[in-house]
Amino acid sequence: MYSPEDTEMASTAGTLDSPVKQIQIEGMVVLKIIKHYQEEGQGSEVVQGVLLGLVVEDRLEITNCFPFPQHTEDDADFDEVQYQMEMMRSLRHVNIDHLHVGWYQSTYYGSFVSRALLDSQFSYQHAIEESVVLIYDPIKTGQGSLSLKAYRLTPKLMEICKEKDFTPEGLKKANIGFEHMFEEVPIVIRNSHLINVLMWELEDKSTVADKHELLNLSSSNHLEKSLQLLMDRVDDMSQDIVKFNTYSRNLSKQQQQKHQYLQRRQQENAQRQSRGEPQLPEEDINKMFKPPQPPPRMDTLLIAGQVNNYCQNVKEFTSQNLGKLFMAEALQGHN
Amino acid sequence: MSRFFATGSDSESEESSSADEITPKAPGTTLKQSLLLSDDEEDTKRVVRSAKDKRFEELTNLIKTIRNAMKIRDMAKCLEEFEQLCRAFLKSKNIVDKEGVPSFYIRLLADLEDYLNLLWEDKEGKKKMNKNNAKALSTLRQKIRKYNRDYETEITAYKENPQESADEEEEKEAGDSGSSSDSDDDDDDDDDGVSAKAFLKKKPESAPDASKFLKSSKGSGESSSSEDDDEGGWGSDPVGSGSESSDEDQGKSASLAVVFLKKTHESEKSADKKVSKRKKIKKEHLEEEPEEGEGEEVEGGWEKVKGGVCLVKEKPKMFAKGTEINIPVVVKKLNEILQARGKKGTDRAAQIELFNALAAITAENNLGQGILVKIKFNIIASLYDYNPNLAAFMKPDMWKKCLDCINELLDILFEDNNIFIGENIAEDSENLAISEQPFRVRGCILTLVERMDEEFTKIMQNTDPHSQEYVDNLKDEGKVCNIIDRLLDYLETKGSTEEICRVYLRRIMHTYYKFDYKTHRRSLGLPAESKSEQDQDESEGEDSAIIMDRLCKFIYAKDRTDRIRTCAILCHIYHHALHSRWYQARDLMLMSHLQDNIQHADPPVQILYNRTMVQLGICAFRQGMIKDAHNALLDIQSSGRAKELLGQGLLMRNMQERNAEQEKIEKRRQVPFHMHINLELLECVYLVSAMLLEIPYMAAHEFDARRRMISKQFHHQLRVGERQPLLGPPESMREHVVAASKAMKMGDWRTCHSFIINEKMNSKVWDLFPETQRVREMLVRKIQEESLRTYLFTYSSVYDSISMHTLSEMFQLEIPTVHSIISKMIINEELMASLDQPTQTVVMHRTEPTSLQNMALQLAEKLGSLVENNERVFDLKQGVYGGYFNRDQKGSYQQKHGGYQRGGYRNQNQNNY
Repeated sequence: MYSPEDTEMASTAGTLDSPVKQIQIEGMVVLKIIKHYQEEGQGSEVVQGVLLGLVVEDRLEITNCFPFPQHTEDDADFDEVQYQMEMMRSLRHVNIDHLHVGWYQSTYYGSFVSRALLDSQFSYQHAIEESVVLIYDPIKTGQGSLSLKAYRLTPKLMEICKEKDFTPEGLKKANIGFEHMFEEVPIVIRNSHLINVLMWELEDKSTVADKHELLNLSSSNHLEKSLQLLMDRVDDMSQDIVKFNTYSRNLSKQQQQKHQYLQRRQQENAQRQSRGEPQLPEEDINKMFKPPQPPPRMDTLLIAGQVNNYCQNVKEFTSQNLGKLFMAEALQGHN
Repeated sequence: MSRFFATGSDSESEESSSADEITPKAPGTTLKQSLLLSDDEEDTKRVVRSAKDKRFEELTNLIKTIRNAMKIRDMAKCLEEFEQLCRAFLKSKNIVDKEGVPSFYIRLLADLEDYLNLLWEDKEGKKKMNKNNAKALSTLRQKIRKYNRDYETEITAYKENPQESADEEEEKEAGDSGSSSDSDDDDDDDDDGVSAKAFLKKKPESAPDASKFLKSSKGSGESSSSEDDDEGGWGSDPVGSGSESSDEDQGKSASLAVVFLKKTHESEKSADKKVSKRKKIKKEHLEEEPEEGEGEEVEGGWEKVKGGVCLVKEKPKMFAKGTEINIPVVVKKLNEILQARGKKGTDRAAQIELFNALAAITAENNLGQGILVKIKFNIIASLYDYNPNLAAFMKPDMWKKCLDCINELLDILFEDNNIFIGENIAEDSENLAISEQPFRVRGCILTLVERMDEEFTKIMQNTDPHSQEYVDNLKDEGKVCNIIDRLLDYLETKGSTEEICRVYLRRIMHTYYKFDYKTHRRSLGLPAESKSEQDQDESEGEDSAIIMDRLCKFIYAKDRTDRIRTCAILCHIYHHALHSRWYQARDLMLMSHLQDNIQHADPPVQILYNRTMVQLGICAFRQGMIKDAHNALLDIQSSGRAKELLGQGLLMRNMQERNAEQEKIEKRRQVPFHMHINLELLECVYLVSAMLLEIPYMAAHEFDARRRMISKQFHHQLRVGERQPLLGPPESMREHVVAASKAMKMGDWRTCHSFIINEKMNSKVWDLFPETQRVREMLVRKIQEESLRTYLFTYSSVYDSISMHTLSEMFQLEIPTVHSIISKMIINEELMASLDQPTQTVVMHRTEPTSLQNMALQLAEKLGSLVENNERVFDLKQGVYGGYFNRDQKGSYQQKHGGYQRGGYRNQNQNNY
């Protein structure tokens, strides 16, 4: 019914060397996720849940899911892990797939590339190799096209996360850019006949206006929001760059000092030698010039990823809208 | 030492004191004397011995100590004691002269010399000695050598026959110890001394108390000698005043000593003057006489005042002895009273009484105005002196007295043209007597009046402003003004320009803050509603504006001290502003350049400056100069310390920032309540001005990233309003303004109007203005205009065109006004539109960027700065000598970037203007 973006697949599929090359999602799972957001998600709040399924060859089949309960500040002692185990055991009792294969999360205007997501996906992928994160964008879906994407961390990023080396040097050595942080896995939605029947029925029931949401011409609201978010990120980025700049300036200054010091020492030693005196004792140069603390670069990378994401969103949105506008113009001219 | 003192005090006697009389001359014995004296007072049992006994005992005691010190080889002590011994020996020289050098003394000298020589020879022992001792030894050795040269014969005699002398000495010692109280048998030649002693014995014991003794001696003195009469008499002696200063130096102990001296002296007079020895002592007494007399007179002077105080109760006794009351006598009396001024024990109230009594006597005896003026001056001065510290204020009755007194003084000055007063007239060139020449009196009436004014301020500061008392006190303000007016009249004829400036300033200070209602009414063309005759009088008086103008201009022209001129200017501006003469006030403020250097002025002037600025701002507001009003009030309001800056109260602060002393100082600076500027009015005026400026500005710059706030405080109030969880109908003035601002933001002028002008706000704020109605009308108009502007800013993007008729209806403004406002906006490029004359519509050009476009512009700007930052990182990495290619690229980028920027700027410019 819905096919993921073919272009994306083409670009990423080639580089995949992970155990999962394709994801097949049951229609029921999609519906459950949508339902979960409809019921609990509001505005910029996010909903999350657990995906269940199993791996068949290089294909990950997601057959079921259940939501994380929204818990408030009041029940701080709520044990999430306990709840998950309990839930999976219960599912097992009724003979449903109970293998943990990842998690899902809703997003607000495509802002999901964050430290929290990275950390939890890392721990998932660390524990269960094939796990994925499904990102569901309710706003795009509301505009008429279902938006559901599956992401995994690239092996490179996994390594970095394992070593927890987020210094500029470390990232440079790993040769990782924001485009190589996440890999998107192509999704196929497979519906059982029952679901198909339900869909037909739903389509029949829905009004004409609902169906034509896709043709909505207004764009400024969505774009404004996106731009706003984009600007915030750009600001963050600017700050990070300034920080990095200061760091590198300090570093080079210190290098210079160090160099000067060494030179002076060498001269002194040469003089001493010519006078037949003993050389100066060795000193720990690193103790004298403590290198400045390098700023962690992971956040910058994430921000860059996020900015990229926004840009993609905006691009996509505008191209679609342009198409619609041309269509509308043509229609008007026709009339 | 201590032993010596002990013996000294033990042997207390008449002789001892008479002998002591010399001791003050000996250096380093003052301590001893005071000790002796203190014992003197306690010790009632007196032991009488001969002078010789006493001296010899002193010597033997010293010798004993020296011998002890010799035994323990304490050379330092030895030296010390030896020096004292020499001194003591010198003292007893007259005795020694008669009796020959006592053998025990010789023996000591000989022994000491031997002993020292022995020590000197003993090199090893000397080495062991510590530094002090060694030093003392060498000094002592030299001294004793020198000293012994005088007694060489005696010493050799002693050395020949040491035994005999030793016996004698022993015998003597025994005698001394045996006859510690009386040594008659010891000294045979001392018969006369004994007789004198016996005589003396009775007297002191009968009157041990010092003061009593003084009296008794006085009594006896009067009968016996004329010299005493002078001292004991009423102290009209000329030296009495002269000795004033010496009194403090000498102290009580000295005078006490003197008392004893005198006593002995007298007793000797009455005693037989046969003995030559006695005579000698007496001669010394006589030499001391001048000093003694001085001391006595001090005593007398001291008592005199006391006597005066008690005499006041029976007035006629002031000049008890029936002396003829003439000017010198009165002046003398005046000086006497004055001398007590400022002293610790002086009863200040009594002093004032005294002065009054004196004034009455003077008046009774018709001694002329000169002396009366002088006395009046002193009365006022002592009234001011009544309160010992600066913070306390005068009591009502004192204050009343002070006012009356000054008034009387002015009466006299006005009546009599022949009186010259001035602070630079020297005391001795005064002319108080009635004669052909004019009176010359020292004193400055201006200073007195200034002081009175300050006292008045102090009284007002210290009265609870919400009490009836305050009102009562305030009624005195009229009197104060009256006095200042009279003084002004007086000084205009007689004073120097400097004095005139000072008194003018006083006058100005009492005028500038008062609103001139009658002039106001007259200017409105209303008949003066005179309720009483007094009102009538007042309304016939000069306009305060004219007075202010005259006084201030005089000061501008004549004043030489900067401070008076500054104050005058500020008061003048304040007065202008208070009476809505905005342009005069503003011009004067700008011309004076006070804003530049007011921070160097002293705090009271700064407070005055702040008050003036605030008044100026309020005046501008009344005149509808919203921007000026805002600017004038900004400094005071933005600090949040308006209360403190205007001197209308202290802010609650930590004790660390301000200690009690500072608080007192600050309290003294406070402006009295009746001069206060209403703080709520001030804040309201400020907030409303800020609202009228800020709301259209906010509407115009909604999308501007670099928008600046006009008024931080106003924004703060808005935020506070937004934070409220539940918005009820506004209560306080601030809430009203915030609610009105919100309405204005939507261009809803009616709601805005109803929030700004209503019953509550009227009673709280607007009714405080003298021209309430006019201000309110101005305000409504401003609200309409600014709402229209806000509306156009906010909603112009919605319209293609809008009819001016509609706008004029919407905002209840006449079409020409609407037209002018819109034209102004178009000219200033605030509104992208054009006017279509035939249809009377505004056609929008729609060149304003939409919010999305604005957003995109902002983003572009941000990206620009981001890239710039990134470039910098690159620069660093590649060094300044980075690749040619890179630099080129960068340059090209920046060009592009500049293009972006320019676009952004253009748009911003459109927004701004």
